[in-house]
Amino acid sequence: MSKNTASNNTASAAKIYDFCSKKTMILIITAAIIVVTLLGCIIRGININIEFKGGTIISYQYTGDIDDNEVKSAAESVISDTVNVRTGESLNSDAKELTISFTSKSGLTVEKQTELSAALQEKFPDNALSLYDSNDVNPTTGTEFFMKCIVAVIFAAILIILYIAVRFRKIGGWTAGLCSVLALFNDLVVAFAATVIFGFEFSSNTVAVILTILGYSINNTIVIYDRIRENKKLMPKASITELVNAGCSQSLTRSIRTSITTIGAMLSITIVVLISGYDSLLGFSVPLMFGLISGVYSSIFVAPVTWAAWEKKRSAGKKSGKKK
Amino acid sequence: MNIIVSVTLFLLGGMNVKKAKKSTFFIVLVLILLFAASSVFGLDYQFGDNATSLINGVDDIRLGIDIQGGVDVTFGPAEDIDATKDQLNAATATIKTRLVTKGINDSEVYSDLKSSRIIVRFPWQAGETDFDPETAVKELGETCELTFRKGSDYDTDENGDPIPTGDIVITGSDVSLAEAKSLPNDNGEYEIMVKLTLNDSGKSAFSAATSELKGTSTPISIWMDNIMISAPSVNDAITNGVAFISGSFTSLEDAQDLADKINSGALPLKIETKSFKTISPTMGEGSLNAILLAGAIALAAIAVYMIFLYKLPGFVAVIALIGQIAGSIAAVSGWFGFMDSSTLTIPGIAGIILAVGMGVDANIITGERIKEELRSGKSLDSGIKNAYQKAFSAILDGNITNVIVAIVLMGAFGVPTSLFSRMLNSTIFRMFGATAEGVVYSFGFTLLAGVVFNFIMGVFAARLMVTSLSKFKCFKNRKLFGGDVK
Repeated sequence: MSKNTASNNTASAAKIYDFCSKKTMILIITAAIIVVTLLGCIIRGININIEFKGGTIISYQYTGDIDDNEVKSAAESVISDTVNVRTGESLNSDAKELTISFTSKSGLTVEKQTELSAALQEKFPDNALSLYDSNDVNPTTGTEFFMKCIVAVIFAAILIILYIAVRFRKIGGWTAGLCSVLALFNDLVVAFAATVIFGFEFSSNTVAVILTILGYSINNTIVIYDRIRENKKLMPKASITELVNAGCSQSLTRSIRTSITTIGAMLSITIVVLISGYDSLLGFSVPLMFGLISGVYSSIFVAPVTWAAWEKKRSAGKKSGKKK
Repeated sequence: MNIIVSVTLFLLGGMNVKKAKKSTFFIVLVLILLFAASSVFGLDYQFGDNATSLINGVDDIRLGIDIQGGVDVTFGPAEDIDATKDQLNAATATIKTRLVTKGINDSEVYSDLKSSRIIVRFPWQAGETDFDPETAVKELGETCELTFRKGSDYDTDENGDPIPTGDIVITGSDVSLAEAKSLPNDNGEYEIMVKLTLNDSGKSAFSAATSELKGTSTPISIWMDNIMISAPSVNDAITNGVAFISGSFTSLEDAQDLADKINSGALPLKIETKSFKTISPTMGEGSLNAILLAGAIALAAIAVYMIFLYKLPGFVAVIALIGQIAGSIAAVSGWFGFMDSSTLTIPGIAGIILAVGMGVDANIITGERIKEELRSGKSLDSGIKNAYQKAFSAILDGNITNVIVAIVLMGAFGVPTSLFSRMLNSTIFRMFGATAEGVVYSFGFTLLAGVVFNFIMGVFAARLMVTSLSKFKCFKNRKLFGGDVK
């Protein structure tokens, strides 16, 4: 598409930073991310929504006062399994919310659920119980959905590596593709850590976060690869390190400015959601925000610098091979 | 409506960047604004009492149950029964009929042959306090097999439920019409009953059975699944093909309920719920309002930011963004006649956000390039031309990877009959059932539509507008394009 015939080296206008010398810093940050993630998993534990692990959550709205323990024993007598009961304020200021949850191996048939509602309404006639939300997932269905999401993400990643390998073959496409997925992985781990540390559940929100990061992260890396590809044409004699440093420096302003808009949009969602109280969306906006912040770093440092180091090793290997 | 699309495409296609004139900016601007206005407000055509929607607007968007509240159920055969393809298809058809009988017209019902599941989704309208989703779902999953049997004998199973054993005379499939009626009985008193009009096979079977049992002490018992409704004795042979069920109704609604069940037909196999989810309308609506408010704030901030950073190209970028958002709305609402509309869910909104973010990025990449070119000493005309050419490869590659993601998701989680699903579910996702997970599909759909509009608006239309504006004398100022003063 681009001709670049008369173009002089536009890189000369901007300052070139030495990104490739930051290998130690990248290693330290990567190690820190892994440690924080592991600590988060150990300390906070991983909450998996029943969408994936199977089980039942039923919420009712009620008025007046209700005794948790009485609800628990009433529910247990219908379901004949241990249940958790939690009461709390509902988003509708005038109503209160009662949540009954339990994990069962086979899920709760709608007949049982109707029976439960009827039993509770009969036992607590003064509280005007009404069904608010219910979620009942058979464990096999939940696991299958989760596995299918993972296979879909892996399949998409393989196709992306293939696409990058073809489009960027002039600058060693395979290695570039694999490094872009490495950067993506970095961002996904950060988003995962944010989910765990802030105590969000793994739910369909998390799936949306993973998918959005998949798109943004690869796009960020590609914009920088594109600049390296262009510099390769402009400066065919430059070393890999020079090409990468120039490409990253030239893309720096764009990377930061684009990220300000996307991170700002997520921040705006987070704030509005916090104020309005519909915090079910926080599990989407907060991990995504962290994934995007990580994307600024990983697209400039992780992908191109790792790629440069790899390419250097490969060309060194080729040269020593020729000497023999 | 298709005329509008073709005219727009023709006008846009006829515009060559090289020939961009001063007037081009206004033509593109007017087209984008017209498109945005029509995709938001829609266009209705009123003829007498019939309002036909010519162009779908925001009001025509179907909201997913996570936004407007609703019910999401997955049915499967009870106790590991192997269901055949025909049984599943017949059961799906029956469930659809039952939904319509209940007055629920905007439901989605899919059957998934691989994992033998039937997925049902329907909205639960806000303010509908008398609607009980649990009962509704329970009724959907009932087998509802009507049988007329010789004698009233039955066995009991291990739960103590009766299992009828008498020879079957006729079943629900022999009935061509069931109606609830209040009719005078033998004593001349009005009684509520269900009148069954039998089809030919039912007529002859019923006639033979009633002739046989006429005057004997053996009754004909009437069963709905394993509940005996009544067991009248036979006084006369009934040959006119009309049968009545009476004796157990307390109100006309009761009788109507039974008539509806018989009319909808029986399920060919016993099914139970595998997963069941209800979302109350109040919660969904609140989330939607929160996300819309946040989107509006973010958009306004981005507009100010873009104009501040990139001046004239920034201003053009804002117009292009409006066009892109209108494009996403249009894709979801079914503005384009040739393309199916989709249901908008919360991940679908995430897809729109991702696509808009890509659109902003495309404009930032070009904005930065214009600045660079001008700073390296290029003239305004060749600077703009070079900048767009150089920026394109990055925008293309970034967006194509998102197209890949979108197609994989639409294939993995789409309706089993859709194009991408047929491609992927038979190959890469073979080990999984064709789960139509509308929530993830919706993300792929809005992302794909958004990326397409990214090219139309963010790349093509923006370039036309910027090039055209640079022809105006008053805008021939390098500073307005982010260049240095010379």
